[in-house]
Amino acid sequence: MKRTALVALGALALACSTPASAQERTVKITGFGAKSGVVRIFGVNSEAALKAAAEVINNAGGVTLGDGSKGKFAIEFLDDRCNAEEGISVVRRIASTDAFVAVGPTCSNVAESLFGILQKKAGDASDTGLQFPIIADVAAKGGLAKISEWAFRNVPSEFDMYKSLFAWIKTQHPELKTIYGGVEKDFAHSNATFGVMKEQATANGYQVLGQGEWLLADTTFSTQVREMRRANPDIVAISAHPFTTCGALKEMERQGVKPKLLIGLTSSSSIETLQGCAKQAEGIIIPTSFAPVTPEAKKAAENVAKHGGSADLHSAAAYEIMFILKDVIEQQKIMAKPDTVAADRVKMREGLAALKETMGLLGKVGRAEREAIKPFLYVHAKDGSWVVLHKPSS
Amino acid sequence: MDLLDLIDAVQSLADGVLFGATYALLGIGFTLVFGVMHKINLSYAAASIGAAYASLLLLAVVKAPPALVFLVSAASGGVIGTLVYLIGFRFIPLANPLATLMSTVGLLLLIDEIIVHTTQGVPLNYPALFSDVIFRAGPFNLRGDLMFVFVLGCLCMVLLLALLYRTRLGLATRAVSQQPVAAELCGISITGVNVLTFTITGILGGVAGAMIGAAIGMLSPLLSLPLTVKGLIVTVIGGLGSIPGAIIAGLLVGGLENLLQFFRGVSERDLYIMLLLFAFLVFRPGGLFAPAAGRD
Repeated sequence: MKRTALVALGALALACSTPASAQERTVKITGFGAKSGVVRIFGVNSEAALKAAAEVINNAGGVTLGDGSKGKFAIEFLDDRCNAEEGISVVRRIASTDAFVAVGPTCSNVAESLFGILQKKAGDASDTGLQFPIIADVAAKGGLAKISEWAFRNVPSEFDMYKSLFAWIKTQHPELKTIYGGVEKDFAHSNATFGVMKEQATANGYQVLGQGEWLLADTTFSTQVREMRRANPDIVAISAHPFTTCGALKEMERQGVKPKLLIGLTSSSSIETLQGCAKQAEGIIIPTSFAPVTPEAKKAAENVAKHGGSADLHSAAAYEIMFILKDVIEQQKIMAKPDTVAADRVKMREGLAALKETMGLLGKVGRAEREAIKPFLYVHAKDGSWVVLHKPSS
Repeated sequence: MDLLDLIDAVQSLADGVLFGATYALLGIGFTLVFGVMHKINLSYAAASIGAAYASLLLLAVVKAPPALVFLVSAASGGVIGTLVYLIGFRFIPLANPLATLMSTVGLLLLIDEIIVHTTQGVPLNYPALFSDVIFRAGPFNLRGDLMFVFVLGCLCMVLLLALLYRTRLGLATRAVSQQPVAAELCGISITGVNVLTFTITGILGGVAGAMIGAAIGMLSPLLSLPLTVKGLIVTVIGGLGSIPGAIIAGLLVGGLENLLQFFRGVSERDLYIMLLLFAFLVFRPGGLFAPAAGRD
């Protein structure tokens, strides 16, 4: 009798558990970006952010798939070495699996080439381009999603950020009249953003006195800074990544160049700048789409750190993307099965394209033409850390 | 050109020449290995930067003065140099010049990637001596830290020349460089001399790495490739195998680079340096100070 009861109990347990475990599926999301080379930190942070967000979603029950079953996210991250050819190869590899979306890349030069191999206009039978949705988290150069209807981005608009920043500076410091630039000429993002900075400075009535130019791996800045010193500008705007931003700032200190205001590139609002030259960067103002100022953002920063990364404007975008993907999967009833891959990709593309608004870590994020319209704020370096200076959206 | 332009041009030249001391140190490393083994060690600049990175481990443990950090960099350079020889040369068929060239390219990438994976590619602060000292001479300023780099670089070169021309080890090194077969017949261990050459150039590289870090104030894996190119240019212009040539060419390239930056801007600067390299390869392939040919 006892034996029969045990068998019956076992059978019952099996009957209850088998359908549940069959229903709980793994939904693999593949990220890609630079995980080797000098911009490895971008990939490391993105991967950590994707994993951290996936863990939060999984712990909250996972994602509901089209057939009503529950799925748990599993993150895989591939290295494209910030190289366009590698990026294309990585995406072709991802697209040959049953993945229905990929998150990346981290470098604008990769995104620019990669989006070019996607089908330009969705549904165009004459276009044999790759029909695979990609949502970028880091690649920040303006307007990249225009390249293909399969390309999406969750990156902030630097045009909007600097437009707002220069207008704000004009109201806060009306006594400042002149500006001098510094730009890393051989890096697509820095170069493009410098164009935006210059345009906005001129639009706000600043006299652009000149610009110092250098390369990403340059080691001496004495000539450029000497020209800057001769120009004696009120504002210095540097569009460069942390290594050369710090090099230029250190040279400015040596030559006694003390502008009344310093402006930096979005990508430099990271821990790298503070590790490299906290003292010289003191006071530099940078617009950013992430700072741990809301409870969600603070929690996200903690979660990303637990996964070995650092939350900044780039990785925070990756974190948000996981929640966007969850919503789209549920709204579009994506099945995430090997035999529904083509349909799932179309559903994912349509779902992403239909988004008008998503929830970001700093608040609501608008969407237009497959690009994000993110809230942002200005931070400045103060006593070795980034401190919020102003919230233009509030 | 007005007076201010002239002053700036001279200042640019002076800054460049002082920074060129680091190129000279790198050039000596390249040229010494070439002089002894007739091989190019393309991983030399990466190993030098690697040594400077290794010295930062000391700062992670204790608050050490910059001078001690530089010493650790030199010692690390010696160890890395020896390892480079053992991995990239010792067991590679030396008769095939491409084999060691490829093995050192591999080592360059390997060292670079080790640095990237250890530091995530994030630039790290590097200590400097006399960074707040500026020597003023009329309208000209000379950076104290660069002056220190220059003086230390010159000191290293003098020490190296003394080692090569005033010691038995130097005699053995020169013997292996000029007549390896005869040197071996005289009982000189070629492998031993090669190991020592790599250790010594490694130490020199460690000093160069530390001086580069000190001059910039930071270390980044971004530095390896451009410094490899600069080291090679200096070696070719100075004359493969010529130590005085490497010294002069290092200072020359450093000064020219800054001067060209001043007159032609960043987009043309490297173009002219490369043109200079081609000009030397075509019109004076032996470089500024090509060593006299040996009896072989």
